[in-house]
Amino acid sequence: MDKIASRAFPAFAIGFAAYYAPAYSFTGATSAFTWPLFTYFPEINEWRWGLVAGNDTIGPPMWWYGWIASAALVGLVCAIIASLLPERATEKLWASSIWIVPIAAFAFLWNWERVWFGL
Amino acid sequence: MPITFLLVLHGIFSVFLLGAVTHQFLSVFWPRKPGQSDFVARARGVNPGGYVQAIIILYVIEFVLGAILYPTYRVLARPPLQDLQLTYVIGLFEVKENFAAIVLAMLPSYWYFWKRYPDYKMTRAALTAILFATVWYDMIAGHLVNNARGLL
Repeated sequence: MDKIASRAFPAFAIGFAAYYAPAYSFTGATSAFTWPLFTYFPEINEWRWGLVAGNDTIGPPMWWYGWIASAALVGLVCAIIASLLPERATEKLWASSIWIVPIAAFAFLWNWERVWFGL
Repeated sequence: MPITFLLVLHGIFSVFLLGAVTHQFLSVFWPRKPGQSDFVARARGVNPGGYVQAIIILYVIEFVLGAILYPTYRVLARPPLQDLQLTYVIGLFEVKENFAAIVLAMLPSYWYFWKRYPDYKMTRAALTAILFATVWYDMIAGHLVNNARGLL
C-alpha cells in the first residue's frame, strides 16, 4: 500500500492541479473543449453533462463541480500511470513536484484571476 | 434557515481548522526552544504530526459545507455583486474556490508525507505552508465576501 501511495498520491494531486488550472482559465460559454464533466444549474436544480451555457430560462451555470470531477478523473489516470513507474527512481521527483506543481497552478490561476481585481 | 445554520457551521469549523493548521505551521517553522514557556511558545510547542488527521477531517468537512453553500452564493449573492460591479469581491471568492479544490486533492499526499514518509522534511514543511496559506486566505476571503453580500 505505502509503495503505491508514494507515487499514486502525489501523481493524483499533480494531475488534478495540472488539469484544474487551465480548466478554470479556459472555460467559457463558447469553449471548444468541454473542460467540466458536467454543469449544475442552481436555479432549476438540474445537472447536465459537459459544458452547458446558462441563459435567462435556466439561470447561471456552475462549472466548479464539473471541473473538480474532471480534474479528479485526470488525477486518477495519473495515479494509475505513476504506480507503474519504478519507486526508487522517481522518489525525489514526487517529493518535490507534489508542492511545486500546485504552487505553479496557483500562480497560473492567480495570473488569470487578476482581471477581477483590475490588475 | 438551513442555509444560515450551515453558514454558521462553516464558520465554526473554519475556526477549528485555523487553530489546528496554525499550531502545526508554527511548530514546523518556529518551533519552541528549550526554556520557553510563555503563551506563544506553548502554541508553537506542539507535536505537529498529531494534527494531521484532525486537519484532514476538518478540511473535508469545510470543503463539503462550502460546496453545499456555493449554489446559494451563485444565485443570491453573486448577481447583486455583478450589478454593483464589485468584481474584486467576486474575485476573492473565485480564488478561494480554486485554491480550496487544489488543496483538497493534495490531502492524501499531505497525510502520506507526514504519517508514512518521514524522510522528506522539506516536502512536509511545504505542504504545511500551502495548507496554512490556503486555509487562512479562504477564511479571510469568505468573511469579506459574506460582509459584502451575505446569503440571506
